[in-house]
Amino acid sequence: MNNAVTPSGIRLELRKLFLKSEPVRGYTLLSPTLLAMILGLAMPLVVLFTLSFWLQEYLDFIRTFSLANYVEFFQKPIYVKLLLKSIRISGMVTIATVLLAYPMAYFIAFRVKSNKLIWLILITVPFWTSYLLRVFAWKIMLGYNGVINSGLKSLGFLTEPLAFLLYNPTSVVITLAHAWAAFAILPIYVSLEKIDRSLLEAGRDLGENAWMTFLRVTLPLSLPGVIAASLLVFIPTVGDYVTPSLVGGPRGIMIGNIIQSMFGQSQNWPMGAAISVMLMFTVAAMIGLFLWGTHSYRKRVA
Amino acid sequence: MNKDQLTEKLATGKMSRRQFNKALASLGATMVMMPMGSRMALGASGDHPTVFTWEGWEIPELHGDYIAKHGESPNFAIFADEEEAFAKMRAGFKVDITQPCTYKIPMWYDAGIIEPIDTSRLSNWSDITPSLKTIPGTVYGGKQYFIPTDWGQTSVLYRPDLAPEYVDNESWGILWDPKYKGRLSMSDSLVDGVMVAAIYSGAENPFDMTDAEMAKTRAALKEQLPLIRFYWDSPTEVEQALASGELVAGTTWNDSYATMKSEGHNVAYMSPKEGAMTWVCGFCIMTDHDPAKIDKIYDYIDAYMSVETGVYEITEYGYGHGNAKAFEQVDPEVLADLGFTSSNPDDMLGSGIFQVAMTNEAALQEMFDEVKAGY
Repeated sequence: MNNAVTPSGIRLELRKLFLKSEPVRGYTLLSPTLLAMILGLAMPLVVLFTLSFWLQEYLDFIRTFSLANYVEFFQKPIYVKLLLKSIRISGMVTIATVLLAYPMAYFIAFRVKSNKLIWLILITVPFWTSYLLRVFAWKIMLGYNGVINSGLKSLGFLTEPLAFLLYNPTSVVITLAHAWAAFAILPIYVSLEKIDRSLLEAGRDLGENAWMTFLRVTLPLSLPGVIAASLLVFIPTVGDYVTPSLVGGPRGIMIGNIIQSMFGQSQNWPMGAAISVMLMFTVAAMIGLFLWGTHSYRKRVA
Repeated sequence: MNKDQLTEKLATGKMSRRQFNKALASLGATMVMMPMGSRMALGASGDHPTVFTWEGWEIPELHGDYIAKHGESPNFAIFADEEEAFAKMRAGFKVDITQPCTYKIPMWYDAGIIEPIDTSRLSNWSDITPSLKTIPGTVYGGKQYFIPTDWGQTSVLYRPDLAPEYVDNESWGILWDPKYKGRLSMSDSLVDGVMVAAIYSGAENPFDMTDAEMAKTRAALKEQLPLIRFYWDSPTEVEQALASGELVAGTTWNDSYATMKSEGHNVAYMSPKEGAMTWVCGFCIMTDHDPAKIDKIYDYIDAYMSVETGVYEITEYGYGHGNAKAFEQVDPEVLADLGFTSSNPDDMLGSGIFQVAMTNEAALQEMFDEVKAGY
C-alpha cells in the first residue's frame, strides 16, 4: 500500500486494475472506436434531434422549442406517403436480397468443400468498386441502349428498346438488391456454417425427407443469419437517396430524397431533421416488431 | 495471429471473444487513423485559393493567365447547383471564390457570405459589357458584389429528325407533348426546371408568381410528370440520352448544344416562341476567404475575365462571355453557328426571359417535391 503513492506504484496499481477488471480492459480496447462513435454518431444525433424542434425562417433558425415540424409531418400527406413508399421499396429489396442470398450462402456452406475462402472473396468482388459505380453499372445494364436492350435487339427479340427497364421503382429494387447482396450472403453463410451437421443427419435418420429437414432443422437454425441479413439490408436502404435519384426516374423518389432536398434546395434544415427523426423512429419500431416476431417464431419451432 | 488464421477462425466460428475484441479494436483504431492520411494529401497546394464552381468551368483553358503567373491551377470544388453550394458553405465548407448566377446573389448577400469586390484590382474590368455590371441585385450601396463573366441560355435541345413538326414551331410545349411520352427530360432544379413550367403555364412573371399562377404551374408540372423520362442533374445525362434517341427533347444550356454539334449529332437548340431563359453567372468573393490569398483571388478572377478565356468559352462552350472584346476575336460565322443571334449580350439577354431571384423559393421547392412524390 505504501508503494501506491510513488509514481511507479501508481503505475503498478493501474496496471493491476487494468489486468484485473475485464470492463476496464474492454473499454480501453474499444476507446478509439467508442470515441469516434460518440463524436461521429451520438453527437450528430443530439444535434439532429435538437434541430428538429426549431423552425426555419428564410436564412435563420428560430431557436424556440416547437412541434410544428412534427405536426407538418403528419398534416401533409407527402411525408407519410413517402415514408410508406420507402418502407415498401426497402422491404421488397430486403426480401429479394435475402431470397437470392440464401441459396448462395447455402451452396458455399454445404456444397463447397475446398477453397471456401476464395468463394467468400469472390462474393465481395463487386464491393471493390464504389457504391456509385455499382449503381451506374446498373444504369448501363438496364439503360435504353444498355446491355439487356442491345443484347435482346441483336438477338432479334426486340425492334425497339424496352423503356420500362430503367427509371422506375423496380429498377431501384434491382439496383439496391445487388448493391447489398454481400451484406446478406455473409451473415447467412456464417449461421449456416455453424450448424452442427449431425443434427441434419439425425433429421434424415428419423425419417424426414431433405425438404422437411431443411424446413425443420436448417432454416430455424440459420434464422439468426437471416435476421441479421434482413436488418443489414433494410436499415440502410430505407434512407437511401443516391440510388432513387440515379435510377428511380421522375417518380422513384424516396424519403431520403426529401430529406436531402430539405437540407439542400429547400433550405429547411429543421424540417429535414424532423423527417430524419421520424424515419429513425419508424425504422426502430419496425425492427423491434420484426425481432419480436422472429423471436416468438423461433420459440415456437424450438 | 496472421490474416489467414483470422479469416479461418472467423469463417469457422472458432474465435474467442477476446481475440475478436482485439481484432475489432485494431480495426477501430485503423478506421480512426485513416482520415488523417487523406486530409494531408488534400492540403498539398494549400497556398492557392479554393474556387467553388460548376462542372466544366474549372478547366485550365479558362484561367490561363493565372497558371502563367502562379505556375499551377488553384484548388477547385464542384457544385451541381447553387443550392447545393449554399447548403455546403452554410454547413462549414470554406471556399474563397464562388461562381454563382445573378439570381442567387440577393440571397447570398442577405446571408452575409459575400463581400464587396474592389474592381480597380481587376485589369479587365473596363472591357466588361457595361450593362452586365449593373444587373439588379448584384450591386449594394454602390459596391460591386459580383463580377459577371459568363452568360447564356436555358432552352430546349431536341432532335429535329425525331420531332420534325417543331422545327418551324419552336416551343417549350414540346416538353408537354404526349406524343413524346417517356422521351422528355427537364432539369431537376427550380430556376431551370420549375420556371419552365411557369413560363409554359403562362405566368406573367415566372419569378414572382401569384397564388393562382403557382397553382397553374403545379398543374403543368403534374401534367408533365408522366411524360418525363428523368429529371437531370448533370448535362452529360441528357446529352447521352439525346444522342441515343432515348430522349427527343430536354432542357439544356448552350454548352450541351455546342458539345453535341461538334460531335456531329443531329440536334437543334430552340428559340422558343414563349422566349428562352437567359442568365448571367460570375464571381463572388466569400467573406470568410483566406486574407493571405487575396492577391491570388483577384488574379484568378482577372484571368477568367481575359479575352483569351472569353474566346475559348465562346467557341468551345457556346456561352457568352463578360468581356466584350472577346466577341471581336471570334469569326461572326462561328458565332452564328453557335446560335448567337448577336454579339451584343444586351440583344440576346433582352430578347429572352432573364433569370432573377425567385420569390418564395421554399414554396416552389416544396411544390416540386410534392409533384415528384405524386401530389
